[in-house]
Amino acid sequence: MNAAVFYLIAGLIAGSAVLSVTVRDIFHGAIWLALTLLGIAFLYFYLDAGFLGVIQILVYVGGIMALFVFAIMLTAKIGDHAIRQVNRQFWPGLLITATLLAVMLKLVMDGPWMRVQASGVVTDLQTIGRSLLTGYLLPFEFISLLLLAALVGAVVIGKVKR
Amino acid sequence: MIPLAHIVVLSAFLFCVGIYGVLTQRNAIRFLISVELILNAANINLVAFNKYLGTPDGLGQVFALLIIGVAAAASVVGLILVIAVYRLRKSVFMDEFNLLKW
Repeated sequence: MNAAVFYLIAGLIAGSAVLSVTVRDIFHGAIWLALTLLGIAFLYFYLDAGFLGVIQILVYVGGIMALFVFAIMLTAKIGDHAIRQVNRQFWPGLLITATLLAVMLKLVMDGPWMRVQASGVVTDLQTIGRSLLTGYLLPFEFISLLLLAALVGAVVIGKVKR
Repeated sequence: MIPLAHIVVLSAFLFCVGIYGVLTQRNAIRFLISVELILNAANINLVAFNKYLGTPDGLGQVFALLIIGVAAAASVVGLILVIAVYRLRKSVFMDEFNLLKW
């Protein structure tokens, strides 16, 4: 029962991720990406990371997806989906990806991870909050600086010059 | 409980889908979608290892949270660059972006 839920979520994530990259219409690709990110949020809930699941839905499905949809609407042209979507490196790219996937699967299956059992330690919200404001305060402050820089940079680049 | 290897396999598959999109797609927005898939694959690994190996201070979840912040900043700057280039070239296809090519 418990395992079946995981394989259901994994199938949802894998299927919609493939569709989001391969589907012809870029707008449909964005919708499939939203479904992938929602599936990953479900996976976080399944892995006892409830806070991260909520943050994933808020930031990705709510924020970044709205940005993607706006960017697509601002740049898409009628008839774009009739144009070729892959570049000249399609077959080499597919070959490299398949090789990479095969190597990674071999490494995972040879590694010790098949035998690792869940530790039973559940990271709750108090632990995350305490870690963020004590031991990992420097990366936390760095992220706020990075977000400010991205905000200012986006305004400067996006401004229409006269 | 499922073995940890199955979650790592899911994450590796998601990473490879993202790499495929980065390598082969012409549309610049599709490129950014693929980058988001790659970052999420890394996040799945961090959360899974945090649960299975059990860190006392929740290091895996803290870093996944920080990666979500970096990914948000990256996609904002990437999308605004695509829109800025679209204003100049009237195109979002990356093989027509030769503004820096002499």
